[in-house]
Amino acid sequence: MKRYDLIVVGAGPSGLSAAIEAARCGMSVAVFDENAKPGGQLFKQIHKFFGSKEHQAKIRGFKIGETLLAEADEAGVEVFLNATVAGIYLDKEVLVQIGAAMEHFKADTIIIATGAAENMITFDGWTLPGVIGAGAAQTMMNLYGIKPGQRVLMLGSGNVGLVVSFQLMQAGCEVVALVDAAPKVGGYGVHAAKIARCGVPFYLSHTITKAEGSDCVSGVEISQVDEDFIPIPGTQKHFDVDTICLAVGLSPMSQLLKMAGCNMVDDPRRGGQVPQVDENGETSIPGLFAAGDVSGIEEASSAMIKGRMSGLAAAAYLGFLNEQDKDNRLADLEVALDSLHQGMFAPGSKGKTFAKTDEGIAVSQSLLKKGYLDDADIERFIHRPDQTIKNSGIHPVIECTQNIPCNPCQDACTRGCIKVGKTITALPRIDAANSCTGCGMCIASCSGQAIFLVDEDYAPGYASITLPYEFLPRPQKGELGTALSRSGQPLGHAEIIDVRNAKAFDQTTLVTIKVPVEQAMTARFYQPKTNAAGQSGKKEIRQ
Amino acid sequence: MKSINDRSQDIGPFVSQTDDAIIICRCEEITKGEIRQAIHDGMFTVNEIRRYLRAGMGLCQGQTCGKLVKNLIARELNVIPDQLDPATSRSPMRPVEMKVLGNEEVSHV
Repeated sequence: MKRYDLIVVGAGPSGLSAAIEAARCGMSVAVFDENAKPGGQLFKQIHKFFGSKEHQAKIRGFKIGETLLAEADEAGVEVFLNATVAGIYLDKEVLVQIGAAMEHFKADTIIIATGAAENMITFDGWTLPGVIGAGAAQTMMNLYGIKPGQRVLMLGSGNVGLVVSFQLMQAGCEVVALVDAAPKVGGYGVHAAKIARCGVPFYLSHTITKAEGSDCVSGVEISQVDEDFIPIPGTQKHFDVDTICLAVGLSPMSQLLKMAGCNMVDDPRRGGQVPQVDENGETSIPGLFAAGDVSGIEEASSAMIKGRMSGLAAAAYLGFLNEQDKDNRLADLEVALDSLHQGMFAPGSKGKTFAKTDEGIAVSQSLLKKGYLDDADIERFIHRPDQTIKNSGIHPVIECTQNIPCNPCQDACTRGCIKVGKTITALPRIDAANSCTGCGMCIASCSGQAIFLVDEDYAPGYASITLPYEFLPRPQKGELGTALSRSGQPLGHAEIIDVRNAKAFDQTTLVTIKVPVEQAMTARFYQPKTNAAGQSGKKEIRQ
Repeated sequence: MKSINDRSQDIGPFVSQTDDAIIICRCEEITKGEIRQAIHDGMFTVNEIRRYLRAGMGLCQGQTCGKLVKNLIARELNVIPDQLDPATSRSPMRPVEMKVLGNEEVSHV
C-alpha cells in the first residue's frame, strides 16, 4: 500500500489548487481523478472569467486549467488519471480502481474535491434522447467537438444556462428560447445581454411541460407558471427543437464524505447534501477536508481559493507549515474570497431582490425579464451623475449595470478612462477627462462583453461602433450585414469598417461597424448576411 | 429517533396524480407513482425505497434520481428534505466490474 502525506480526490480547479499549495509546503501529494483528462470543468470553460486581475479575471477557463496543471507538475504533485476512488475507509485509506485492478492508498490527510453533478427536473418526455444537461452539452462541444443538436431550447437562466446558451450559438446551434420558471433572470445580466442581442427570446415564469417525440426529441412545449410555479392551462407554446438543455442547478457529489463518516447536512443554499466544515474546509473528522463545489455550489474562482485554503490547512495540520505562516497566508486568501463574495450575486444575497445598485441607480427590470437593457435603462446608467460621457469622438460606452465582483476593465485602459475603484463590485465609471484612443483593450478585457466603443463623428450622418465578437467565421472588412439592437431586432444595414484580432484581445475579435448616427446608442451586434452567428428567429433577415 | 421513523403516523391515503407515469429513476425505470405508492406502503426512508423498488440502485447509483426521490418522500411525509437521511454511501462508489473488484492488491506494508 502506497502512502502519501496528502491524497486529493478530484483534479478539478479546487483539488489541483489544494494539491499545489500542499506540495509547495513539502508534502508528498497524490491526486486521483476518474476522468481521462485533469482539470474538471475548467477545460470546458471557453469564456473569460470574472473577478479581479489578481485572481485571473479575463483569462479563459481552459487557460487557467493549463496554468494549474503546469503548477501542479512543477510542485511535484502526482496526478493519477482514469483513477476512480471507489471507497474511503477508516484512518484515511482509499480504494482506487486503476485500470483492471483495485489499489489501496493511505495518507495522513485527505482533501475531497469531487465537485458536483447536474440536477434534473422531470416532465412528460424528460427521458427522451435529446434531453440533456447543460454541462453535458458543454462537454460534447468543448471537449469532444460534437454539436449537441441543431435547434436547442435552454431551461435555466442561471450563469450556467446563459453561458452554455452562448456557447451553443458559438458552436453553430440555434437557441430558440431561454426558459426559466423564476420570474427573473438568475445569472449575470451581462451574460443574458450577450444572448439577447443575438435574438434569443427569454421566457421567464415559464417551464417545460412536455418534451415531444417518439424515439427522440422533436419538439418541446412550454407553459407559463403561476406564483407557485404551477403551469397555467392554455398558456402552452410549442417550439420545434431536437435538443432540450437543462441548467437547473448542481448537487454536490458528497458520497465519499458521507462514507467517511463526516457530519453531513442537507443545505439547499449550498446545493444539497454537504459536509459540515470550518472556514478552511476541515470536516468533523480531523485531517479530512472538503473543498470546492462538494462542500457548497459556487463557481470556479471561489473553488480555487477554497482549494488553496484547504491545502494550506492540511499542510499546517501535519506540521509542514508553521502556524504563523498559515495564518498569514490564509488571511490573504480570505480577503480574496471575501471580495468574490460581494455584490448582488454573492452567496449571501441568494433570494434577495435588489431595487437599486450600490450607486443608488434603479436596477434594470428589462434586463431581469427580457435579458436586455431598455432605452430608459441606458439613459439612467450611461448618463448618470458620476460620469460624463462624450458624444463626439471615439469613447467607451459601458453597459455594466449590476454590482458583480469584476474589475479588469479598469486596468485595461492605459489612459485611465475607466474607474472601478477599490470596491470590486462597483460599477465601472467613465472619466471623460482622459481621452480615449480607441485601442479596444477595454472591450477585450470585459468578460461580460458589455463594453463598446462609439464614435458619433465617424462620417457625416454615420457613427462607428466597435463591439466584441466571438463567432466564426470572423467578419471581413468591407462586408455588409445587419446591425442588431440589444434585443436582437434588425435595425438596418451595417458595413464592417474594421476587424481587429490582436494577441492581447485573446480571441475576442473587435468588429467595427458603420451605422446611421441615430443608431449609435442602439446598434449592439452584427449579423452577417450568410448566417453563421448572430442567429435570429426573424425570417426577413435570415435568407 | 427522528419523527420520520414513526411508522404509526397517518400520511393519508394514496391519491393518484396525473403525472404518476413519469419515470423518476431512469436506470431501473421506476415511476413517480410507484415511488409514491411505496411511501404509502410504509417506506419512509430513501434506503427503504431503494431496497423495495431498486430506485437509485442502477448504473448511476442514484446520482440523477437521488434528489428527486428524496423530494418525493419529503413531500408525501410533509417534511423538509434535511429531515430525511440520504441513501447510505458505500464502496464501490462507481460501477466496477466484478473481475476488477476481485483483482484487489492485498499487500499491507
